[in-house]
Amino acid sequence: MKKSLYTITTFARLNAKRFFRDKLAIFFTIVFPLMFLFVFGALTKNNGSVSFNVAVINQSNSSYAKSFVDQAKTSKILKVDKKTTSLDQAKEKMKRSQLDATIVLPNGFGDVLKGSNYPSGQAVVYYNENAQQGAQTLTSILQQQFDVVNAQHIKLVTPLSVIAKSTQAPSLNRFDYTFSGLLGFSILGLGVFGPVNVFPELKKQGILRRFHTTPLRVWQYFVANVISQGFVGLFAIAALFISSVAFFHLHMKGSYLTFILFVLLSIFTIYGIGLALGGWAKNERQAAPLSNLVTFPMLFLSGTFFPRYLMPEWLQTVSGYLPLTPVVDGIRLIVTEGKGFLDVLPQMGLLLGWSVIIYLIAFRVFSWE
Amino acid sequence: MADNIVIVKNLTKKYGDKKVVDGISFHVEKGEIFGILGPNGAGKTTTLEMIEAIREIDGGSASINHIDVGEHPQKVRYIIGVQPQSPAFQDKTKLKEIIELFAASYGEKVDPIAMLKMVNLEEKANEYVENLSGGQRQRLSIAASLVHNPKVFFMDEPTTGLDPQARRNLWDLVKDIQKKGITVILTTHYLEEAEMLCDRVAIMDQGTIIALDSPKNLIKELLGRGFKKERHVEQADLEDVFIDLTGKKLRD
Repeated sequence: MKKSLYTITTFARLNAKRFFRDKLAIFFTIVFPLMFLFVFGALTKNNGSVSFNVAVINQSNSSYAKSFVDQAKTSKILKVDKKTTSLDQAKEKMKRSQLDATIVLPNGFGDVLKGSNYPSGQAVVYYNENAQQGAQTLTSILQQQFDVVNAQHIKLVTPLSVIAKSTQAPSLNRFDYTFSGLLGFSILGLGVFGPVNVFPELKKQGILRRFHTTPLRVWQYFVANVISQGFVGLFAIAALFISSVAFFHLHMKGSYLTFILFVLLSIFTIYGIGLALGGWAKNERQAAPLSNLVTFPMLFLSGTFFPRYLMPEWLQTVSGYLPLTPVVDGIRLIVTEGKGFLDVLPQMGLLLGWSVIIYLIAFRVFSWE
Repeated sequence: MADNIVIVKNLTKKYGDKKVVDGISFHVEKGEIFGILGPNGAGKTTTLEMIEAIREIDGGSASINHIDVGEHPQKVRYIIGVQPQSPAFQDKTKLKEIIELFAASYGEKVDPIAMLKMVNLEEKANEYVENLSGGQRQRLSIAASLVHNPKVFFMDEPTTGLDPQARRNLWDLVKDIQKKGITVILTTHYLEEAEMLCDRVAIMDQGTIIALDSPKNLIKELLGRGFKKERHVEQADLEDVFIDLTGKKLRD
């Protein structure tokens, strides 16, 4: 038993060392998911505040019209395209969906008419058929702003009104989904793509066969690899986690201990798939198609790149049983919803169930050459 | 016979209908260097691999130190060392780590530097295996096979692809191993190597052993049948010239 332990720790230690000497492995395991994080993080960063791409075309000389244009330029809701100065240009851009709508202030807008002491006029919002919803929202926002101005000049009675109030309860923003999905993607990468490339290569060179002439047992070799890959995986996940906190304001709501334990269990389960595939395959040509077949459904259906709630119900049910789904769900529950150990028991149960099946298969199909 | 450490009886390997090894029998005495000669495809490697417990035995039996290979492969693995035909090691690994790894496979801890010293590689202990030459890799492989002090050492074509200097160096190494009391079984298709190293040789062709004796006796027997070389044999050959000109010093 003590001898076995020495065998396992030596193999695990040297395996891990070897990983950190391999620039290509570091790139694909740690840097590559980080690149995804920054791309997806940047895409979801402005989420939460709706904004419209508009052109403002001012055909009026009034001072009110000018101040309206200046206000629009500094507005958070409007992104004003300053290059567009004519309606024809604007229409061209709306056709290409580069603009959501065009606000035209017609000649005379904001002029103070004779017999009154306040500015008046009617702004026009132009939009294309496919941007109807956005244009209507924009129109009502403008109307609200005008109402405020109107109220300053004319006393209005508003017997019916509506106001929006926040419930104060935080809801998941898109980055929260991005984060758990990316962690799932990263675990899938280091758990499957790594071993599927490594083992056939070791077999091709006869390195595993050589170990087979020694008393080294398959289970010892498996345990050592699981340990080293778990260690490497924690590094990869830590890199993603720290970057998310530093650059994308990720708030860790759950316990770190639960998080680490859950990540380790996830790596253990998913790495089993890689061990089974890589341990079975005699060469790369055998490994590649089968690993694609196994990983692609998980890549698209387990909530890595887009949330599962967007899927039809039957697909949600089916994809819920994929091994990667509890990984993504569990991480989201712990990190962004602050759920505890007991709350993620269903996910852990599913992972453990898969582990039993996966490792039984892996032992069965492993070959040294 | 107590002195026979390896006993092979009727050993057979079939691939489909073809018998690659066809019921061969021989024994190897404790402490000798035993050579298996033969052209490519004669079944040498398959024979070795069956005795090494990495290929299944289809018929007959093999035993090492009175342990049946087919029945107790795991026990056999503790007492043998195996040098494969073209030794390869996982890259990004230092020489001393390779030794540690192999020792750990037997659950043992060794001094890697001492093992590397035995094969003249102690200066390269901290280098990566991918920076080794062919001869150095062979020597590292030998050190890795001997970490657990085996009783029998198998070498499959150990000198194929080596330059004459590295080859001679390896021969010396094999003789040193024999001096430690380790029985050596090797395959080769270099006949002068067999003549130089082996106490006894088995000549294999098409899966069967067609002759088995000491090199001297085999030659004597052939001459006894009235064999004469067509060409007059010089007292030296081109290899002697080569070694005389370039020296015996190892180049890697």
